[in-house]
Amino acid sequence: MDQQPLLRVEHLSKSFPGVRALDDVDFEVYPGEILGFLGENGAGKSTLIKILSGIHHKDQGVIWFNGQTINPHTPHEAQALGISTIHQELALVPYLSVAENIFLNNEPRRALGLVDFRRMNRQAEELLRGLGAEIRGSQLIRELNVAAQQMVEIAKAVSHKASLILMDEPTSALSSREVDALFALMRRLKERGVAVVFVSHRLDEVRQIVDRVIIMRDSRRVGSLPIAEASEEKIIRMMVGRDVGLFPKEAAPVGEPVLEVRRLSGQNGVRNISLTVRKGEIVGMAGLVGAGRTELARLICGVDSLSGGEILIEGRPVQIKSPADAVKHGIGWVPEDRKLHGLVLGMDVQENTTMAILQRISNLWGAVRQTEAKRISKHYIEALSIATPSLTQTVRNLSGGNQQKVVLAKWLSTEPKLLIMDEPTRGIDIGAKAEVHALMSQLAQRGIGILMISSEMPEIIGMSDRVIVMCQGRVTGEFVRGQLDQEAIMTCATQFLSVEGDIAEKVEAVAEGINQ
Amino acid sequence: MNKVVTSSGRDVAQPAAGLVETIKRLFRVSEFLIFLVVIALFIIGAIVNPRFLGLENQKVMTRDAAILAIAAIGVGFPIITGGIDLSIGSIVGLGGVLSAYFVVKMGLPIWVGITLALLVGVVIGAIHGLFVTKLKMHGFLITLVTLGVARGSILVLTNGTPITGVPDEYTVLGQGYLFDLIPLPVLICLLVAGLAYYLLRYTFIGRQIYAVGGNIEATRLSGVNVDARIILCYIISVVCATLVGIIQAGRLSLGHPGAGEGFELLAITACILGGLSLMGGQGSVVGILVGALLIGVLQNEMVMLNINPFWHKIVIGLVLLVAITFDYARRWKR
Repeated sequence: MDQQPLLRVEHLSKSFPGVRALDDVDFEVYPGEILGFLGENGAGKSTLIKILSGIHHKDQGVIWFNGQTINPHTPHEAQALGISTIHQELALVPYLSVAENIFLNNEPRRALGLVDFRRMNRQAEELLRGLGAEIRGSQLIRELNVAAQQMVEIAKAVSHKASLILMDEPTSALSSREVDALFALMRRLKERGVAVVFVSHRLDEVRQIVDRVIIMRDSRRVGSLPIAEASEEKIIRMMVGRDVGLFPKEAAPVGEPVLEVRRLSGQNGVRNISLTVRKGEIVGMAGLVGAGRTELARLICGVDSLSGGEILIEGRPVQIKSPADAVKHGIGWVPEDRKLHGLVLGMDVQENTTMAILQRISNLWGAVRQTEAKRISKHYIEALSIATPSLTQTVRNLSGGNQQKVVLAKWLSTEPKLLIMDEPTRGIDIGAKAEVHALMSQLAQRGIGILMISSEMPEIIGMSDRVIVMCQGRVTGEFVRGQLDQEAIMTCATQFLSVEGDIAEKVEAVAEGINQ
Repeated sequence: MNKVVTSSGRDVAQPAAGLVETIKRLFRVSEFLIFLVVIALFIIGAIVNPRFLGLENQKVMTRDAAILAIAAIGVGFPIITGGIDLSIGSIVGLGGVLSAYFVVKMGLPIWVGITLALLVGVVIGAIHGLFVTKLKMHGFLITLVTLGVARGSILVLTNGTPITGVPDEYTVLGQGYLFDLIPLPVLICLLVAGLAYYLLRYTFIGRQIYAVGGNIEATRLSGVNVDARIILCYIISVVCATLVGIIQAGRLSLGHPGAGEGFELLAITACILGGLSLMGGQGSVVGILVGALLIGVLQNEMVMLNINPFWHKIVIGLVLLVAITFDYARRWKR
């Protein structure tokens, strides 16, 4: 293409405390082009979108748009320039109508400032029809399904005369038919000369719709390929290809099963999962965001309720109806979002460390034995080498890596049999990462079973004795150490391969998927 | 940097430090600052009206402050969990009227009447707690319902007229003195405060209550029975308010249908002055006591200075405004 690019980004960098989110990224988008962005979680795709849409601000670099340098400070500014964004979470007002949402702050008026509803509805319907959607302008947003809401959001972008539309994982909540409709719409936008940046995890979808794909890894751009040259293999290799030897799991004797899960299903999207974790074993759960891995953890920990199946701890069936039951049965959960689910940020290191055992270390009158609490917290601070000035330091003031270790300390103090670790090293620096990995090895050697959910392929490959891959709430593959092949894992994570278990189950599972 | 007291009031070992450093630290503790304001008010009161420091006035003042403090300590519990209890004004009225009704109209022994009234308080508090935990309703809403319903029930029960004829053995609760010096409500208040202090500061239940206010999800996932803690807090709140109603009825020698009106404003203000955050997870019983004392002194002074009673609520409201403005300003600075 030798026309002028609509958007050109040069040397874009962005850091958050402790994490480099974007590192010297260059790319350009041409009018009427659909550009795909692919990469693992944390590769920097979302940060990029957020900078272009004015939510985050760049540290370094230049953004050229329509031949001018821009630096949007608010989403409103970006919109005024002609850059609209369709976020993963839709930003519509549920109790207003379709037309009111599209023309929010831009309503056609009559005399005296009254809104001309009839004209507004008509214009909204015309706009939507132009995009291939038949939706009444007077309908309330909350009555529409996600796909229709997305259409409305895109119509809104078009009404703002956007020349560039950024879409952050727009297909994650859509059925395959709805995805087709979205793609048809994207092609219409393309015909009108609108450029679209399309961020997705789903390889197959990206290959269907984009003209060109940019692959991100570790906050950097690692490649840009015209889609015709981008074979699936090539893309996957670029997405995951990096040194895997960083994360050694030391050998540990594997013993009896700690956790057995049989045909577990839940309202939260988990379907018919069976798996086993043994003493001293680290089982990695691979898959994409939304594959149902965290949901599985929530079922095992009693946060969400089961709709079927059973859980066995050390061979005995148990009823887990609340997190308290899970703790009682020796299950610890290091959650994905430590600030939201792992810590009470305003409390200090000692109180967070002893949070799960307060009752156990209390005397007859219910008073917490302070010396005992102090001894236990001190022990774990030393054992995990948590860098804190004192036991009374508020955990809010600790670094991400040390906060994560406090969460770990909390669970280790319960002397668990099973640890579920959800993205155990997300958002912490390399040094702390290595320490957490070394700890996991030690725990396994002490006979704790670990179920590790991770979206980082090197972590999965380096740490797991066995890897279970999930996709859309189901198990789509299982690999043992020694046979771990990242490309094969990635393939399982993105589509249905061999489903373990009998054929009838498999057919049922597929049918269920279609009916949804 | 080490703090003297953590935001949730836990005991913290202080490293040895110089006197200057200790004083500097003291000034960072909001309870201490409020206490300074109380002392300032005392000094002003003494200067403006010599009778202010007199024994008779001090008896009245400490009694009123103690009664307020009991209600404030109660409502402090739901506030620490991140909730609120707006019903306590009406509950104060209900507690007084119910106990008077049981004792005077039904002729029950005094201790039975009081126990029954407190039990009704337990039930109402439990209902509040169940709505908050099982339906995930904000405490604001369900207690707002009780604010109306309880007051209405009082009016139905009394037909709008006070229940008179409360026996002397009952009125001693509100009017009696120990050694002819210390008002009984002050003793009751100290007992309640002591229990609350122990519960919140030393027991696992208390620590879990703070944790609920700090981050309810993380606490639940740590295996804490979060619902039980929250229900307990709402029960404590209503029971304390009922107790206040019983004492008030003793003080007035009657069950007054209008008793406790607007008391929620005073009690919640005392909590916020004392360092509780409406976001939950913060504050201590000591702070609440100081906050209640401040309001008690202020109210007493307004009477002593012959300020038109119509202005009292405005002054209290403005004190609340100052306190929350400071609280929010501090939060934004962080």
